[in-house]
Amino acid sequence: MLEIKGLTKNFGGLCAVNNFDMTVEKGEFVGLIGPNGAGKSTVFNLVTGFIKPSKGKIIFEDHDITGKSPHAIAKYGIVRTFQANRIFADFTVLQDVWAACHLTNKTGLWEGIFRTSGARKKEQYTLEHAQEILKFTNLESMSQTFAQNLPHGYKRILGIAIALAAQPKLLILDEPLSGMNSEEVAEASNLISRIWKGKTTILLIEHNMRAAMSLCKRLVVINFGEKMAEGLPDEIVRNQEVIKAYLGVNINLA
Amino acid sequence: MNKPAGLTKLFSISAVVLLLFLLPLIIGSQYIMYVLIWLGISIALTSSLRVISLSGLLSIGHGGLMLIGAYTSALLVMKVGLSSWFALILGGVAAGGFTCLIGFPFVRLKGMYFSMVTMFMTEVILMVSEQWKSLTGGSAGIMNIPRPDPIKIAGIIDIDFKSYTDLYYLILILVIVSLIVFYLIEHSRIGRSWQAISRDDLLAESVGINVAAYKVLGFTIGSFFAGVLGAFYSQFYNVITPSEFGFFFSIYILVYMIVGGRRSFIGPVIGCILLLLIPELIGGLGGYRPFIFVAILMAVLYTLPDGMASLPTRLKYTDLGQWFIERFAHA
Repeated sequence: MLEIKGLTKNFGGLCAVNNFDMTVEKGEFVGLIGPNGAGKSTVFNLVTGFIKPSKGKIIFEDHDITGKSPHAIAKYGIVRTFQANRIFADFTVLQDVWAACHLTNKTGLWEGIFRTSGARKKEQYTLEHAQEILKFTNLESMSQTFAQNLPHGYKRILGIAIALAAQPKLLILDEPLSGMNSEEVAEASNLISRIWKGKTTILLIEHNMRAAMSLCKRLVVINFGEKMAEGLPDEIVRNQEVIKAYLGVNINLA
Repeated sequence: MNKPAGLTKLFSISAVVLLLFLLPLIIGSQYIMYVLIWLGISIALTSSLRVISLSGLLSIGHGGLMLIGAYTSALLVMKVGLSSWFALILGGVAAGGFTCLIGFPFVRLKGMYFSMVTMFMTEVILMVSEQWKSLTGGSAGIMNIPRPDPIKIAGIIDIDFKSYTDLYYLILILVIVSLIVFYLIEHSRIGRSWQAISRDDLLAESVGINVAAYKVLGFTIGSFFAGVLGAFYSQFYNVITPSEFGFFFSIYILVYMIVGGRRSFIGPVIGCILLLLIPELIGGLGGYRPFIFVAILMAVLYTLPDGMASLPTRLKYTDLGQWFIERFAHA
């Protein structure tokens, strides 16, 4: 489904991602892990078009999406969430998701001005679609709350709901569990696995190793911008190189 | 919105519109008609600036765009001999087309930097119109621009647009049409996308909104109406001189919007009435007008950062407001 070939990104003299290869098959749940500054987020930004690669190719469902702009990539079906809490503030939760249903609603300018029956039907349909997403993400009871007033955990879930509104085929989650308490982690993990069971392919970055291990079916480890290891979660935790990268070498506490 | 509240709203708006249509029958003064025409131009202009601001762009270039519309219309009527009604629309098309062409590099800039660029755009438009004497008549501008073509249907309608009252009706219709269009766009998918962009453009981009194109679309629609109003201005005032549309003209429009409240649809209307109509009707302020203007601006920005339109909501949460609500709303 997604094929990354020889992806390279240089920021000036710094090589953030170097000759990185990765594939994601349809229906997979892949985790991208690595120590801080390993280049995980850069890979995400490259795939979703927020930064342009220096070299390499990104192919999604037989379309070459290398260097395309983010909104065009979203149209192909790759939608991401952000590490920071990005939401549309000063909107209610429902308005947030409704505004994000941009791609499911194709009302044109003239239709909008003349309020044709077709336009009204489409508006009604998107509103219902937004409400369904809120029901799915258990945010329904908060639909009239202003988004910026939500507690941290719900803001992160709203971020996922906004991404779902764009109807992704491949959902890219950038540390969806960061800063959550254990209850919120359980709820969010449950939501993420329900999204995956709903036939959405998921690619995820996570620092919460326990959650990442239990959620992801396959892990890719990246360090210093290069792929280090790849395999099932069980294999990865026993991989000596990965342990070295995370904990350092020659630990001698005695 | 529930049904009865919607109906009350619709009813009160129709009542206001009806009153505005009957106003010339009550007020005979041509001077007041003249002031009201100015008010109408400002309201539509400020609202069109608000359309641009929905996607987070604060333009200080509305004067220049209005000038493009005014010149286009005046030249089409006087040199080409086109009907003034076509010229009115083409004035808008010229201004809208202009921003559509230059818009893409402009909207890459955010916040104050966009404002600065639009300010210089106005300066460039002014300079070109002052120097291109063969076309625009230089800094003296164009004079004797004809009034709108008369509308004649034998025996029934005969409007020659000689009096300000006729022009008042024309601008009233223009204002109503543009406000309806603005309202409908704002409450459609496009308006929602603009508001999403102004809140977080990266997030908007990530859910598939073409941020640059939508910003240019808003800029173009706002400019189209500025151009139409410029064309109307040229036919109403009969003279256009570039210097009138300088930096301060655009700043005034921006201030009307901010004082009225850019978050609210009726903000521009309130701002124009407060800052244009009231000082004009009080009269006799003469050279002190800018001072009064700034005093109102500062007072409003200091006490009501969201503009005059936010006053009712603000009052609702004061002790006095709560007291009133308990005393009267529950009765």
